[in-house]
Amino acid sequence: MATSIVAPKRPFLTLPFLLPSWTDSLALGSRRYQSSYRRTKQRLRVKPDASFGPSHAGQDQIIYNPPSSAPTAYHTPNKFLPADDARRSMLVESLNSVTSNVSELPGVYKSEAERKYHLTPSDIEEIRNLRMNDPMTWSRYKLAKRFECSPIFIAMVCEASPEKKQMQKQVLEAVQSRWGVKRRMAREDRQLRREAWGRDE
Amino acid sequence: MKRLQLQRWSSTVLSPRARTGNCLHQQLYTAKLRYQSTASSIQSESAPYDAIDVLEDPKLMSQVRRVHKHKSALAYPSPPVEAATRSAKLAALHARLYLPSRLPLQTLARTLVDASADENADFNNESLATLGHDLLTYYTTEHLLCNYPRLPLTVIFAAMYAYAGPKTLAAMAKEWGVEHAAMPGGEVDPGYLQFQRVEPGTDVEANSDLQSARPYAAQKNWRKTVTSKIFYDDEFGDQIKGVVSTGSGSGSGVTAELASATFVRAVMGAIYLHAGRPAAKRFFEQHFLSRHLNISELFNFSQPARDLARLCNRENFEPPVAKIISETGRKSRHPVFVVGIFSGQDKLGEGAGASLLEARERAALAALKGWYLYSPLNVRVPSSMEEEGAAPWKPVYVDLGEVIV
Repeated sequence: MATSIVAPKRPFLTLPFLLPSWTDSLALGSRRYQSSYRRTKQRLRVKPDASFGPSHAGQDQIIYNPPSSAPTAYHTPNKFLPADDARRSMLVESLNSVTSNVSELPGVYKSEAERKYHLTPSDIEEIRNLRMNDPMTWSRYKLAKRFECSPIFIAMVCEASPEKKQMQKQVLEAVQSRWGVKRRMAREDRQLRREAWGRDE
Repeated sequence: MKRLQLQRWSSTVLSPRARTGNCLHQQLYTAKLRYQSTASSIQSESAPYDAIDVLEDPKLMSQVRRVHKHKSALAYPSPPVEAATRSAKLAALHARLYLPSRLPLQTLARTLVDASADENADFNNESLATLGHDLLTYYTTEHLLCNYPRLPLTVIFAAMYAYAGPKTLAAMAKEWGVEHAAMPGGEVDPGYLQFQRVEPGTDVEANSDLQSARPYAAQKNWRKTVTSKIFYDDEFGDQIKGVVSTGSGSGSGVTAELASATFVRAVMGAIYLHAGRPAAKRFFEQHFLSRHLNISELFNFSQPARDLARLCNRENFEPPVAKIISETGRKSRHPVFVVGIFSGQDKLGEGAGASLLEARERAALAALKGWYLYSPLNVRVPSSMEEEGAAPWKPVYVDLGEVIV
């Protein structure tokens, strides 16, 4: 109960909407309007915030004005301009200074997988045979481990047999049937969010 | 290239008397001749009253004339031509749209009569709407193709629909303050949009695939490729709708949206006929191109990173690499990553997201949009060559086409 009687941080006089509406009780004649143009102008004459000024070079700062925003999609990157476009030569020197340190930037993935083109047609035939004949043992991941390639490559090369697909579908349905409302909704939301990326929302 | 003398057309094209006397026209129009014209009302006013002039009594004559007038108003399914000059609504619409003074009120009244209200092709707006629709879609297409030469076809369809689709045109007719008549008829004020309404409960989409030339059009579940849409479908990529049966007139009708769209198209056609090409183009720029459309919102990609890799491969750029430009709160509940996609030393796109994967997808999407939304400098559309004293034509930028994965 102690919290309810804590005094407001600001005095009442600066919050006029809390006061009773005394203007209504007064006569119409004594009501005073700020009708002069000069007074209104004076109120609007506010000094801009210091963060709008020239940037403090060399100093750390938290507030940036105007705040940073995503670049517009209508700005065509220099590389995408056709060779005869006049903007290409104009932008070249300004951009060179900014993106000189691309190789120093960290990558999104820890390590880029080295691309090996080592599988022969006979290997691919073997992959297909293994997956078709014994799909329970030779899953995509096991095949990828054995042939030292990515599971995506296995999926590109061959397809699971219809029985295996049907079985996998039943397993998935069994798992999903145990989900409660929360988990189901969270999964759906995640899917919707993912679709919103493609629309740039 | 010399301009046609359109001022002279405007008087002759709409008058039934000065029509070229070919056989088809004579056969079509001698059967039910209407002594009305949208061009001049002098002759048509005097013609029916010749017999009445014999009467000498002015009082009786005025009464007879009034009855006659009332009857003549009811004789035709759409308001008589001479009513156009007396309508305040029509004059207000003419002034509100700032239409050229060469476009007479009579023609504006004709643009408000839908084919479902008056079947006579001389008095409804069908012919004007056909011309106006062609002009609208032509101007919109050349604007889009010249300004954004790399747009994918699906986006062009969506943009066409947004600029000149029936929904937009209906909204424009509403903004112009055009009201709908409850029922069409000769006694209605010609300032109202007149059309026969669809009976409630009618399936509007019922005869949608009657006119389609597409083979196997009956197979609803089959995939329709975008390329086939160019050939078989209309300019918005939609299936061509079957023509509403123009038989008895009682059963057929149009929706309010379609009637409004037809009216706007007819206004465009009427301006072209009466005031010429420059006025039509100005009208198009002021009323259609001035509407704001953010084309970058029309895109929807499912796998932008894959498409971008394919694009860079096609254009012989270095393969795109995603790099973290900045990040904050990686171990917190709400991290923000800013990822850039680089091809060699050039940054193609930049995106921010709550996970590395999201930021990378958004960056790839931004890069793809940067490619597709390229707009050349100093764009000239082909129709600008129709102006007098135009500079010699320089070919516009034509792109290879969208990325096909």
